[in-house]
Amino acid sequence: MNAELSRRALLAGGGAAAAVLAAGPVGARIPPSSLQPLIGPGYRPTDADELGMWQQMQRVEEEVAGSNLLVKDEGLNRYLQGLIGKVGGPAARDMRIYLARIPDFNAVMFPTGFSVIFTGLLLRMRDEAQLAGVIAHESSHFLLKHQIRQWRDTKRRTDVLSFATMLGGMAGGAAGIYTGDLAQLAQLGTILTLLRYNRQLEAEADALGIKLIAGTGYDPLSMSETWGQLIGEVELSARVRRKRPDRGYSIFSTHPAPRERMIDLRQSAAELKVPGRSYDRGRERYLQAIGGIRPTLFDDQVKLNDAGATRYIVETLAKDGWNGQLRFTEGESLRLQNADALQDRAALSYAAAVAYPDAPADAWRWHGIFLMKAGRRDEGRAALQRYLALAPSAPDAPFVRQMLVS
Amino acid sequence: MNKRMLLALSAASLALSGCTGGGIGGFGLYSLVRPGRTVKVGNGALTVVTPREWNRTSRNGFTDIRYVEDWTLNGPYLDGISFISALPDNRRIIRQEYKADRQVPKFRSVMTPPEIAALIESLYRVEGGTVDWRTLNLAPRPFLGTNGFQLDFEHLDSDELWRKGRAVGAVIDGRLYMMLYDAARSHYYAAALPDFEAMVASARLRR
Repeated sequence: MNAELSRRALLAGGGAAAAVLAAGPVGARIPPSSLQPLIGPGYRPTDADELGMWQQMQRVEEEVAGSNLLVKDEGLNRYLQGLIGKVGGPAARDMRIYLARIPDFNAVMFPTGFSVIFTGLLLRMRDEAQLAGVIAHESSHFLLKHQIRQWRDTKRRTDVLSFATMLGGMAGGAAGIYTGDLAQLAQLGTILTLLRYNRQLEAEADALGIKLIAGTGYDPLSMSETWGQLIGEVELSARVRRKRPDRGYSIFSTHPAPRERMIDLRQSAAELKVPGRSYDRGRERYLQAIGGIRPTLFDDQVKLNDAGATRYIVETLAKDGWNGQLRFTEGESLRLQNADALQDRAALSYAAAVAYPDAPADAWRWHGIFLMKAGRRDEGRAALQRYLALAPSAPDAPFVRQMLVS
Repeated sequence: MNKRMLLALSAASLALSGCTGGGIGGFGLYSLVRPGRTVKVGNGALTVVTPREWNRTSRNGFTDIRYVEDWTLNGPYLDGISFISALPDNRRIIRQEYKADRQVPKFRSVMTPPEIAALIESLYRVEGGTVDWRTLNLAPRPFLGTNGFQLDFEHLDSDELWRKGRAVGAVIDGRLYMMLYDAARSHYYAAALPDFEAMVASARLRR
């Protein structure tokens, strides 16, 4: 280890240093122009170790494809498949994409070219350009053969992990052996922890990914925005709970050094942007594609009662304009925090939500309940009647009807 | 609510590797509840009579709260009843790290049944690894001689099993009394529902 390297490693920050050292160049941004995909259309492995990996992965994919955690919405799945077909580079036609009902900010690419996107990711993306950036990043892991390269690298360096153990773990994960912390992720969690790349490979995937989206006409700045949103969310979530951000949890455990990557991506975007060319954000297209499940995405998030994260998501999406759904979600989050001081604010959010034409029926129910609790019974009854008119067969309609007569 | 019951949902696959349900703690966890006798549950403010033998989960002062007690018939992966007796204002139905990112809301005396229903939903989502939740019904129902509520729900958990449940409860003198039944949707829910209903009918306040 030379002095220059160790100083830089220290700057790169404590725990990550060891891995970073082993991974080669440290802290240096990879210019997008320096990277080319390593595989073309219809790629099939020929080396024995990679063939073994593919064989195992086919079993994992079968498990994933049959999981009842997948979102079945046909139109949405077609849309995602179309998107990976657009930004997936030379192997675009070979890649598969699965959408899993998991309310976390994550996505993952498997060595054989299939990707699992979490619904929590769709909730957080402001437009198609941001989602395309994530998908292009994941595709780049496949295009650059990162899984097998990382495996060979690990083996050369340490020989601690045997290939069989690693694959056994992945297959076991798919078959349902649960390990530890990632309660929300269940089986997929096990697989995810094994698909963790070192920082060098993540930087490569960023560089190729941003080149792919800029090449297809998406605003390349969207990728650094996504990282900014992720960091902001984790920080606000921790601040609301009065603690330091937990870097070991969720996406940071599989995607290290977010801040450096955000800065590098911003620089790469500036490099790639051609003056005078107009870049697409695809916001309308995106909102239309996820429209069918969007209320569910908000619901899945808000019910986790992670107040800081929900507030960050709502306020980030509201940069494109407030609407009834966002105000309603804000109210839900405030209500679930259950502090006296916040109940009044929750009531205000519900009142604001119902003023929008897109207010969900549920906003009328809570607006009504909060009015009743505040002693404004007539207004409360009117709001609850509106709720019943909008959702006459709601599961709680019997209870609400009783509230109206009592 | 006992964390073990909920962890059972999110860690159900442990069962595959030879660990018996509810045995996560590793020692004498259950005691038998005899049928036909009046049994105190939770902190003792509530009594029920069970029509057949159930297994009472032993409690641990570090991880459980004294207002809540859990029973099971076939093990916590398959079925269970939680009794919540006289839970006071501003308390949770499960013990949680106070800085946890994701928190089960506290019970408040002023809560309406829709708010209590939302609290139950968050309990399963936050601590049980539930990814899909469906409220089937929320309706008034007399309980312990007062105006209570009944919530029916089903949920898909991260072990990919659908479970179904029913909560019957009421707020009396600012405290929450509730019986929460939850079981695998196929077979087990229907199998022990009559037991649960008999226990609800037998439930009395003990002052």
